[in-house]
Formats: sequence, structure tokens, C-alpha cells
Amino acid sequence: MSDASTELGELTITRIFTAPPEVVFECMTTPEHLTHFWGPIGTSTPLDRITVEPRPGGRFETVMVIDATGDEIPVNGVFIEFDPPRTISFTEAGVEGAVVTRITFTDLGDGRTETVTLQTNVPPMLMSPEAQAGLETMFVKLDDHLASL
Amino acid sequence: MANDPLSLTFAALADPTRRSVLVRLAAGGATVNELAEPFDISLQAVSRHLKVLETAGLISRGRDAQFRPCHLEQAPLKAATDWIATNRQIWTERFDQLDEHLEQISTDRQREHER
Repeated sequence: MSDASTELGELTITRIFTAPPEVVFECMTTPEHLTHFWGPIGTSTPLDRITVEPRPGGRFETVMVIDATGDEIPVNGVFIEFDPPRTISFTEAGVEGAVVTRITFTDLGDGRTETVTLQTNVPPMLMSPEAQAGLETMFVKLDDHLASL
Repeated sequence: MANDPLSLTFAALADPTRRSVLVRLAAGGATVNELAEPFDISLQAVSRHLKVLETAGLISRGRDAQFRPCHLEQAPLKAATDWIATNRQIWTERFDQLDEHLEQISTDRQREHER
């Protein structure tokens, strides 16, 4: 595993999994699989609290339950890209702005898959439906916006 | 633009000139003229960058009307790096568990195959 922060406000994590892209992609986008690993340590993600609508514009919603307290952390995402088994990207609106996550799956040809997860914190005003038309558009707009400051 | 603290911080940090200014200020306070020196841009441009940094709370400026020396403020930077650290932790744990899950799938399929 290797990972590096490319910029402040951005997080990149590169991981290699011992499974072909089709399997890794299915795991990342199917509630029956997600429930096994989505919640970080100390939390769980009940199967009946996961919604995946596998298409651009579809919902990607999970509820992480903190094991110790029963507190719930709902995360309501919307897919921007849904391109099996190559790419998913989704937005999450949160209290501190919005986050865009883009995961690419690359076939290493030996039964393994490299995933690159790029997470970017995006100011909420750029999260309009127009801006969500595509991730590329959004980053272009973000660049323009930042250049104009 | 969005004015929640973390968005302001990240927007301010998105510009390489402003990041260089912060790196310089980490070594100690400086005036606008001192900050402008290494850059091939006008004093006005530097002042605009400083304004963005000040609005984001990343720097504070002295009261001295003529020089208004700039100082680095640590708290917003810490919030920004905390965001990155927390998310890195979440994704690392998530992927560790996915590793285990994939291993389980592989084992299950092998057993299925052997039956």
C-alpha cells in the first residue's frame, strides 16, 4: 500500500487488492458486500441502511452506526460517474462543505486490481446541479473560482 | 464563495503563491514587501493574496498602519490537516476490511469449487 497527500484539501490513497477489477468494483457498489467492510473500525453499516442506485445521479447512502454508543452517522452521497468496472465518483454533502470522492480501478493483469481513491473537499456553492453535470466540469469551475479569488 | 471555515481554508491553500507565503511566515512574521520579494508579481497582487489568507484566518496582521506585519495562524491549518488525517484513517481501515472480505470471498469460492 502506498498513499500520499497530493495537495492540502485533497487526499489520495492507492491500494492494490488481490482480486480482479470486476470483483473489487462489485464489492464497492453492492450493499451485500459493503456491509462487511464499509464502516471503519468501531462502527458497522447495517445492510438495510445501505442504498445504492447504480447510475450517474443515483443515490449512494450509508448509515455508519458507532458500536459503543449506537450513534448513527448518515452519509448521503450521489453518484456522478458509475462506469463498471473502471470508475465511480460520488459527492457527499456535509456540515463542513462537500466532499467529492473518485475511485478508479485498474486491472494489473495478474488477478490484482489497483485502486486510486481521490477525495477532494469542495466548497458547497460549487455543488449546484449544473456543477454536478460532470466531475471534470466541476474541477474546471473550481480552478476558475479559485483563480478569481 | 462558501464561508464555512474548512472551505475557506482549502480555497486559500489551493494557490501555490499563497502556500509559499505561509511557508515563509512559518519562519517568522514579515511585512508585505518582504513577502513580495521572492515573487515576480506586483505588491497589489501580493496584497490580494494576503487578504484571502487573512479572511481564511490563516494569517493575522499587525496594527502598524504602514507595515502591518503578517503572522501565521496555526488553528485553521490544523483543522485542514485533521480533515485529511481523519479521512485517511477511515479509508485505510475500510480498505483493510475490504482486503479481509475479498480473502473470505476467495476462500468461499474455493470451497464451493471443491465440493
